[in-house]
Amino acid sequence: MAFKKDSVVGTMVFIISLSLVCSFMITGTAEILKERKLVKKRDEVQQFVLKAAGVESNSGDFRELFANRVQAKLVDLESGQFIEQENILDFDGRMAAINPETSRKPKKDTAKIKSRADQVRIFEVFDDQGKLSSIVMPIYGKGLWSMMYGYLAVEPDLNTIKNIVFYEHGETPGIADFVTDPEWNALWQGKKLFDEKGKIAIKVVKGGAKAGDVHGVDGVSGATRTGVGIQKAVEFWFGVEGYQNFLHTFAKTEVK
Amino acid sequence: MSRSTSTKDILTSPIFANNPVAMQVLGVCSALAVSNSMQTALVMTLAVTFVLVFSNLIISTIRNFIPNSVRIIAQMTVIASLVIIVDMVLQDVAYELSKQLSVFVSLIITNCIIMGRAEAFAMKYPPHLAFVDAVGNAMGYGVILLGVAFVRELLGRGSLFGHEIFTTVANDGWYLPNEMFTLPPSAFFLIGVMIWAINVVQRKRG
Repeated sequence: MAFKKDSVVGTMVFIISLSLVCSFMITGTAEILKERKLVKKRDEVQQFVLKAAGVESNSGDFRELFANRVQAKLVDLESGQFIEQENILDFDGRMAAINPETSRKPKKDTAKIKSRADQVRIFEVFDDQGKLSSIVMPIYGKGLWSMMYGYLAVEPDLNTIKNIVFYEHGETPGIADFVTDPEWNALWQGKKLFDEKGKIAIKVVKGGAKAGDVHGVDGVSGATRTGVGIQKAVEFWFGVEGYQNFLHTFAKTEVK
Repeated sequence: MSRSTSTKDILTSPIFANNPVAMQVLGVCSALAVSNSMQTALVMTLAVTFVLVFSNLIISTIRNFIPNSVRIIAQMTVIASLVIIVDMVLQDVAYELSKQLSVFVSLIITNCIIMGRAEAFAMKYPPHLAFVDAVGNAMGYGVILLGVAFVRELLGRGSLFGHEIFTTVANDGWYLPNEMFTLPPSAFFLIGVMIWAINVVQRKRG
């Protein structure tokens, strides 16, 4: 029987086989690139953690620096305790936040993240002498358009901000680019997260923070909502449903 | 163009005489967006070349099996799959660059040059001619893109491929960069000038 391409059956057979061939092409490519992508992701995490901690690194030595100076740990946010786990660098925080079994809906979702993972990976960063110099914690929250992902590093007093970096966001290009601008990130350095009563006090101030304000970071005009989003994200992650339990536990056990 | 066109004509005519961007005014959107530096323009040209060559080859090979009623969908399926592959590979080998090109790689799917060549050429000619046609059109696209990018980067930033050619005032040199050239509207003017130039040359040839 000759293949009649314009018959209904012929059309069906053609489209189905074409779709199959094309999907195999795509999945094949994805499979080949998968392993390399994982390595890249791991490298990216390492570079951004070092950047957040203020450790100078370049493309050649960041793996070594990370291995020597940084310890990744998994934290249970409910209890504030560390959890033992292997291959922490491959821990996928985003999957954990999506999976209903390992996440929960925040009661007060100020950062608009919808669901929060029960466990979060944090990084302890040590200086050359092996003394704890900062703790790098992931934060994320919604800006104007998109989820913004970053790391915030605090000094061992668990109050002073060492640095903040963002590694992914989809805010308006050209307007909200300041999010990843090292100069703007530097405005956060030395600011205090909490006031004397231990309440979260950090603010992104529209129109610019007053000189000497230890809790205020300059906002950027034209991108007010992005700034507010960042403030809310920090508030959420350093609040009751974020790292508060962990910070209390950590303060009792490790910092003397 | 008649059916008797030679292989050489198929290859060379899209570069100037029948340039897809300048003469048929196809694919202008991406030509505006990614032509502000030589690097992005080159990568975009390579990506388009890859998609164009393989879509023409594949579609030409299966052209006798494509049912007439679904031929556009079939072409789109092939093109979209190729673009996804290019996008994945690009993210792997040049992540930073793929961020700069952002949506324009995925938008190759809607680049009319590729659809146009698939429908107008690959559906009618055998694979080897379709291949030559694809290479010719990709070069035509590349000539315009790289030409525009050359002027835009040189005048807009005083550099080529990121290397400084004119020392800018910011670096204690003499050249004050014309920032208009880093913005998309300048590509309109430049492409317009190119269309004019190609038209003048064509008319002289008769």
